Amino acid sequence: MPGSLLSVRGLSKEFGGVKAIQSVDMDLVEGVVTALVGPNGAGKTTLFNLICGHISPDAGEVQLAGRPIRGERPHTIARLGIARSFQDLRLFGRMSVRDNVLSALEPTAWLWQPGGRRAARARLHKTEAALERTGLSALAGARAVDLSYAETKFLSLARILVTEARIWLLDEPASGLDPVSRARFVALLKEAVAAGVTVCLIEHNLDIVTELADRIAFLDRGRKLAEGEPAAILRDPELIGIYFGEPRR
Amino acid sequence: MTAYLLNLATLATIFGILAASLNVLIGYAGIFSVAHAVFFGVGAYAGAQVALNLVPDVLLASLAGGLLSGLLSLCLALPALRVRGEYFVAASLGLQMLAVTVFSEAHSLTGGHGGLVGIPPASLLGIDVSSPWRFLAVCVGALTLSLVSIAILMRGGFGRGLMAIRDSESAAEALGKNVPALKTIAVAIGCSLAGVAGTLFAFQLAFINVESFTLEQSVLLMAMVIIGGAGTLLGPLVGTLLLLLLPAVLSFIPFIPATEIGTVQQLVYGLAMTLLMIFRPAGLAAPSTGRR
Ligand SMILES: Nc1ncnc2c1ncn2[C@@H]1O[C@H](COP(=O)(O)OP(=O)(O)OP(=O)(O)O)[C@@H](O)[C@H]1O
Ligand SMILES: [Mg+2]
Repeated sequence: MPGSLLSVRGLSKEFGGVKAIQSVDMDLVEGVVTALVGPNGAGKTTLFNLICGHISPDAGEVQLAGRPIRGERPHTIARLGIARSFQDLRLFGRMSVRDNVLSALEPTAWLWQPGGRRAARARLHKTEAALERTGLSALAGARAVDLSYAETKFLSLARILVTEARIWLLDEPASGLDPVSRARFVALLKEAVAAGVTVCLIEHNLDIVTELADRIAFLDRGRKLAEGEPAAILRDPELIGIYFGEPRR
Repeated sequence: MTAYLLNLATLATIFGILAASLNVLIGYAGIFSVAHAVFFGVGAYAGAQVALNLVPDVLLASLAGGLLSGLLSLCLALPALRVRGEYFVAASLGLQMLAVTVFSEAHSLTGGHGGLVGIPPASLLGIDVSSPWRFLAVCVGALTLSLVSIAILMRGGFGRGLMAIRDSESAAEALGKNVPALKTIAVAIGCSLAGVAGTLFAFQLAFINVESFTLEQSVLLMAMVIIGGAGTLLGPLVGTLLLLLLPAVLSFIPFIPATEIGTVQQLVYGLAMTLLMIFRPAGLAAPSTGRR
């Protein structure tokens, strides 16, 4: 597909008989927001895990800008510019909010990060900017476990936006947010997209999907049933039936 | 009396290094090793052999002890890369048991059950440091150096990487952390330091055998770290002082018959540990929990 930054072809994964993902094709096009929609257990999170190398596929290919990345370790894939969030956030609970974000900028395992004091100052600067954008500046010194629900969601986002990754895979980043926080989240995401980030978003709230997504990929029981413009997908009575859990044939 | 106190202080310093080194694994990297006494032992035997066969130089012997322990720490890093939590604890338990057997049987290296005796008095770059005061100073120096290095490392990106792994390994990976590399280096640092402590221990006692490097010792070290406060700089020291001085203090209480001291010690230990974990689960030195 033209402009495809991340392409997934024939990806499959089975967990002891459960076909979590079945020969799924998907393209993330540069600058386009794709929403991954589907009922519980459809395989959305599994698809992210496969792309990021957290679990290895039984079959299929993943390419980032033409380069095969299947089989690479998660940290390698992350360094190539794919950032992801987790449905259960997985914040670094006993670290401060600032350290959670700062740590995302320190990839080397060596005892010292490269670039000396100057680079360290720059990282701190970027961290403060990310905290500012996510409204967490006042909480920089608090431990992540002590944050409120909405704050944890924004911290998860701050860790990603600070990395300057080209692709964001967000697993239900807005679930459970109050209207004010949700508006803030939508604005943040729009800002990032305007700045050139390619986003794939798992989201159950169809209002948010409509507001943010340029495309929808519809997943059910491991299969991609449809992909296209939001209006078209959301008008399809069969898909909506599956989504809202109508009895199936 | 002074000799007794000096000996106690030196041992406390050495165990302070040990606990601080285990804290790198447990407190920062989240690697719950019950095999730390193994690397203490490796350092002790290696240092003692250098002193017995080469020169009794603390620096050289410590270097040898630290290096060998650091190398052998790969035996611990390997399972740490593959399994977590209770599975790793079981794996390290296996290593601990294996090592005790090796320590007891490898006569030519460890002296077997009899151990290594007659470790010569220590010198440092040609200066005699074998008097109790001087050797205490050497140990305090080593402890200070260890703590300062740990503090610097843990405040930087390396320490944040370890803590990130401790709190969520998958999230750390997703943010680009090379988890195997970070864990391996952390284990190597912690175990080398334990090796240095072992060498100092060998010089202090002038005699070592496998009794000091058993599972019981590993568990005691773990208790020092956890009671004092895992993941804090000074917590392990607090834990060391508490657990090491407790027996000493108890033995001065007049109304306990000498034969019962061991039993009373065990009771007080057990009770203190249980109460502590109930009321201060993060350890004595940890900041009290409160929101924001
Ligand atoms: N690591 C795993 N081991 C075994 N089964 C798994 C694993 N991960 C996912 N599954 C199974 O794969 C299927 C898809 O799960 P997945 O988490 O991808 O769904 P999802 O679309 O993200 O659902 P939700 O909307 O509830 O988050 C489910 O049946 C799940 O039980
Ligand atoms: Mg999911």
